[in-house]
Amino acid sequence: MIVDVRAPYKRRVEQALGDEGLRTALDRSTVRLSGKRTEAMAAIDGPRLRDQARAVREDAIRNLPGLLDELERNLAENGCHVHWARDAAEATRAVVRIAERHGVRRAVKSKSMVTEEIGLNEAMEQTGIHIVETDLGEYIVQLAGEPPSHIIAPVIHKRAEEIGELLHSKLGVPATDDPSEICAVARRALRDEFLRADMGISGCNFAVAETGSICVVTNEGNGRMVTSMPRIYVAIAGIEKVVPTVEDAVLLWQAASRSATGQDVSVYFSVSSGPRDPGHPDGPEEMHVILLDNGRSRMLRRGYADAALCIRCAACVNVCPVYREIGGHTYGCTPYSGPIGAVITPLLADDVTSARELPFASSLCGACRDACPVKIDLPRLLLDLRSEIAERKAAPALERIAINAYTATITSPRRYGAATRIVGWIARLLAGRKDYISRTPPPLRAWTRSRDLPKPPRKSFRAMWRDRSAGQRGEPS
Amino acid sequence: MASAETNPRESILANVRMALGGDKPLFRGEDHARERPVPPAPVTHAEGDGLALVKIFGQKLEAISGSYEVLGEETQVAERIAAKSREWNFGNDRTGPDQEPQHTEVLAWAPNTLPVPELGSRLEEVGISLFVPGDMQDEEVRRRAAGAMIGVTGVEAAFASTGSIVLSSGTGRSRAASLLPLHHIALVPLSRLYPTFEAWLSDLRSSGQLTDFLRRSRQVVFVTGPSKSADIELNLTLGVHGPRAVHAILFPDS
Repeated sequence: MIVDVRAPYKRRVEQALGDEGLRTALDRSTVRLSGKRTEAMAAIDGPRLRDQARAVREDAIRNLPGLLDELERNLAENGCHVHWARDAAEATRAVVRIAERHGVRRAVKSKSMVTEEIGLNEAMEQTGIHIVETDLGEYIVQLAGEPPSHIIAPVIHKRAEEIGELLHSKLGVPATDDPSEICAVARRALRDEFLRADMGISGCNFAVAETGSICVVTNEGNGRMVTSMPRIYVAIAGIEKVVPTVEDAVLLWQAASRSATGQDVSVYFSVSSGPRDPGHPDGPEEMHVILLDNGRSRMLRRGYADAALCIRCAACVNVCPVYREIGGHTYGCTPYSGPIGAVITPLLADDVTSARELPFASSLCGACRDACPVKIDLPRLLLDLRSEIAERKAAPALERIAINAYTATITSPRRYGAATRIVGWIARLLAGRKDYISRTPPPLRAWTRSRDLPKPPRKSFRAMWRDRSAGQRGEPS
Repeated sequence: MASAETNPRESILANVRMALGGDKPLFRGEDHARERPVPPAPVTHAEGDGLALVKIFGQKLEAISGSYEVLGEETQVAERIAAKSREWNFGNDRTGPDQEPQHTEVLAWAPNTLPVPELGSRLEEVGISLFVPGDMQDEEVRRRAAGAMIGVTGVEAAFASTGSIVLSSGTGRSRAASLLPLHHIALVPLSRLYPTFEAWLSDLRSSGQLTDFLRRSRQVVFVTGPSKSADIELNLTLGVHGPRAVHAILFPDS
């Protein structure tokens, strides 16, 4: 692994920027994914879909306590066991307890960011349970001992030949870079796991309050396998996943599919409403649902309900120019990367300043806001988080001095004019013959270590404006 | 009542209530109550009479690597299943012209849950037997089901605008039949073809059956084409965990 998710942030950025292959892989994939999203939204009344999806999500968050109550009641009536977990430790303990009670030795899991968030694999492995990721991309990153680097395309950072090599060294199959061969190897290995597992585990895309149903979106069919083949099924749902009605879930499923991959809908949409009845040929004998908080209610209390609207489609990730450069692992030990990751990773943490660099990993270009199917104003959230972090004096002292000096400068036209002339002169000197400034003296050196600055033009905008106005004066309009 | 400190449920709900109880707007940007049409307006469209819908359904399904055919009568269904089975099972594997026609076992829903009367006996005549799993937790049943190359099921409904079908599980209707085999044949009576998801939901909602149907089925699954992945450099691969081929046979109901 080239980017070490446990290294300090600056080191991670350097590692990512030093990896040409990573950037090629990211560029290819994210540009194609976002192109497909644009096409899929243009094929229908995209603005209306976004308006409706937003309205459904707002409605759900506004009525969260009542909906959770209704969901819990209906799940229980359907014969599901409902568990509430305040944090990751309570959630993993609940799953481990269910596994122990039923003598579970083997578990299969479909792709779910929430189980990454709570570190479920590690907790299960510690108690000696064999737990296997079954999404093709997740299976590959699990074999590699890496975390996923993208919300919907976990192995986006690896090229096909690397994956072929990995399967060769881990499974002893012939090395190949043919995706369909890689896929066939995984199908065989994972089919066996599905049929032998005692427990299936999934996240939850939407939980329908009125029916007590857990909806899981997949393309490969692993979501169907884990909810159908093992005798125990455990779903882990963030409390914000609840929606009022079946129609709402079907709407959001369409919004998520179009935004994630540009499909009309994902191949599979499994809606599970309880364990199988006597006489049913398949389906789990027991179904458990864990309703997880883990920082979500605190996020609401901190004034960031907007972030709870997210349906995890990764449209914002694919359009983000910063993500395209640095990839998911640079965001650290979190399954959430890109703009939404930069918002929710610090917010879900006990202390917003524990991931304080992330809200700064954005150029605030606004592409994410325009791509979001539930219209989350991500740049605004990033700015609010930045100011919160600065207010908590978590920003470096030098940065605070600089911000104060900046405020003094821009509030006076005379000081501003003088400053732009001086800075422009110095900057052109630093750029020399190049069009870019790639090295600066301290304290700016740290900034240009991972960024280039364009060489400023000889004439400032103010100077051009002055000249232009002078030239136009007296001409007929 | 348990105290909020010790009971996770109470403490989570109390925190959420407190967070929502403030008088500040909850969301940034427009804070007026957005118009929330109930139910939501349809996302996709498909217009026309029966045959026009069939055509849209078929084109949509083909565009996502599925396939379809339309029959004049339901009595042809058995022969068409046999033909598809020959196409998939024997295609390249046939060793010689004088090889005995093999008897094929397909994983299927129970005959009384399939939309074609007498389908089981008609299939027997063309060399196909149905294996209907009783209890998939049984080792032997599971092994046999996992060995099937073809699965045959009915559908709850089909949707023209996306080329999707929806299946419900229950007695006689295994989830395995549309999931484990590499090939899935879905039998779609024309009366079950709807223009959109929303049209079907609205029918069930207005007849008061929607919530009951979902809860009674235990699992309802929407299927839109064959199983696929684009995880490896966005290359499309089919048949990752579920079927590589999904073939819909549409026919007029008796």
